[in-house]
Amino acid sequence: MLVAGIDVGATYTKVVLCDDGQVVGRSLLPTGFNFARAAERGLSAALESAGLRREDVGYVAATGYGRHMVPFRDLALTDLTAQAWAIHRLYPDARTILDIGGQNVKAIRVDERGRVRAFRLNDKCAAGSGAFLEKTMRYMGYTAADIARLAEAAQDPAVVSSVCAVFAESEVINHLVAGRSPEDVCAGAIVALAGRAGQLVKRLRGEPRYVLTGGLTRVPLMRRCLEQDLRVSFVVPPDEEGVYAAALGAAQLAQERLRRTAQRATA
Amino acid sequence: MSTSAQEILGVSRREGRRLMELWWQRMTEAAQTGHPTAYVFVMAPLSELLLTFDFVINAPEITSLQTAIRGQSQAYIQLAEDYGFSPDICGYVKADVGVQLKEGEHPYGRVPRPALVVTNNVCNTYLKWAEFWEHYYGCPVFTFDLPGWRGRESLREGTEAFRETFENDCRYVLGQLRELIEVCERITGKSFDIDRFREHLREANRMAELYHAVCDTNRHIPAPFNAPLEGVTYQGIANLYRGTPEGTRYFELALEEMRERVRLGMAAVPDERFRLVLVGTACYSHFRRFVELFSSWGGVFVHSTYMVFAGGGFVPGFGYDLGRPLESFAEQMVRATYWGWTGAMFYQQEWLDRVVRDWKVDGICFHGVKSCRTTSTGLPDVREWMRVQRNVPGLFIQSDLVDPRLWSDAQIKNRVDAFFEALAAHKAAVGR
Repeated sequence: MLVAGIDVGATYTKVVLCDDGQVVGRSLLPTGFNFARAAERGLSAALESAGLRREDVGYVAATGYGRHMVPFRDLALTDLTAQAWAIHRLYPDARTILDIGGQNVKAIRVDERGRVRAFRLNDKCAAGSGAFLEKTMRYMGYTAADIARLAEAAQDPAVVSSVCAVFAESEVINHLVAGRSPEDVCAGAIVALAGRAGQLVKRLRGEPRYVLTGGLTRVPLMRRCLEQDLRVSFVVPPDEEGVYAAALGAAQLAQERLRRTAQRATA
Repeated sequence: MSTSAQEILGVSRREGRRLMELWWQRMTEAAQTGHPTAYVFVMAPLSELLLTFDFVINAPEITSLQTAIRGQSQAYIQLAEDYGFSPDICGYVKADVGVQLKEGEHPYGRVPRPALVVTNNVCNTYLKWAEFWEHYYGCPVFTFDLPGWRGRESLREGTEAFRETFENDCRYVLGQLRELIEVCERITGKSFDIDRFREHLREANRMAELYHAVCDTNRHIPAPFNAPLEGVTYQGIANLYRGTPEGTRYFELALEEMRERVRLGMAAVPDERFRLVLVGTACYSHFRRFVELFSSWGGVFVHSTYMVFAGGGFVPGFGYDLGRPLESFAEQMVRATYWGWTGAMFYQQEWLDRVVRDWKVDGICFHGVKSCRTTSTGLPDVREWMRVQRNVPGLFIQSDLVDPRLWSDAQIKNRVDAFFEALAAHKAAVGR
């Protein structure tokens, strides 16, 4: 049966369609302010990519911040559980997952069966999340798509020390006024972000193997900073699977649930 | 169900409401008539002594909490911030300052001016809070210096070192009590009546036994009450009616009700699935929501540290020696400081360890209060200890006592949901 995992994140909505354990379609769209509509649009886009129809979908699992706002969901679960499930299937020996998303940074420790054993999240402040980086890029006249290119071209990353997003923005402005290049400021913001994300892994008492997921896996400097700070190696799932990990996990859990239901029915 | 059973169910809530309304009536009358009012704190309330002099008791932590429960704390807090208090300062202090700046106007009545403030060093903010009243009203402030816990080894009961420290501490506190009595006599014009004092101690002894017995009913599965919900009323009565026949009667009824609920198998949270302990306070500006986030998963709080350190400081097993009332009162204060106030705040793992075992707890929720470093410091260490040493999962969330601006619903819900998803797997793994 075709199942859909929908991760309604604060910034992006990711959808993964699975049929008998195989990914057959996926989509990634900005969430906007209407979570229900974002889920609907994301599902339509994923179905279109797979050449399938809405009525083919037999079960929908919603995850992410907007999970409770998806009116056609059959199941709602947190992105922590969904992500842990998906990463465990990709890397059965993974024990620590660091996910850097738009509004949320998550460090998750999982056991040998992919169950969440402990987690640490960034607090209410967004200074440690991708949104801060996006805002910095916007201020400098760039978009999120330019982050990786700019960061790689940096000569000497500017120091962004504040733990508050608002004060950090002032620091960014000061750097630009002082003549620092956008490349150096961008790289400085990534170094700061990596420092805060790394702190969550330290608090979690992370164990190998480490996996890095979330939108910022597209930025090589982020991974390098984390590896240098934590003195560990991170695996980044290929083909952007790290970006879709929560949606994929939701879809896999949906299939698992269907399988168990069918088992109970035949027993 | 028999008529008497029907009558007893819900009695603790009804009677609690009646007694709180009565207290507000007395406070409002005192504000109008100028009857002497003593301001005290929930850690070291000294009600038995102050009632002997007929003071009306005001506990500003309780009045601040109530502004939040009525959804009005933000306006009071902002008034205090306009006055000059920083956003980082304790929410209880600022809500109270807001009330004082509005000449005692409170959603439940009117807070009288203080004729006396009795503060102490168990919480550093108490000292600065009392300073505000002193400056604002020019009222007398009596500061108790309570010797707290100096580490497990120095205060291991039964040792010579403990005996010597304890006796010295009791003498020190007794001296301060005698000074306070002189201050009370001067303010009220009444002589200290030791027999009246003894009667208040007798009532407090009975109340303490009942308070612990009520807490013990929650060892039952399913738990008959939810610690933050019913507990907040228990704490209120334990502080404001401590040492009074009304307070004792209240806990008799509460115990009767909880035993009846146990007998009938009535659960505080229908379909109880997870038994939890709350370390710290709830967020009172989102009180119902706070509890609902857990109860919607079948989670019930069977106990809380707040019921210990803000529940009147009833030391288990301790009763006042009515033959030597003042000395015994000093001993109780020292023991409550060791065990209930400083101990329950800073050496929580020992208490938690026992509660986890005896109340059959599945997980612990640590609520860090952004405007209170005193209760929040060390929470991650205790969580780590309970996880590593006892394999008990812990959840850490942050908001505030009463400041709604520090509540982030989506963030907190995400953590709570993820905690329960993991807790379900943990329970299955450990076979509970």
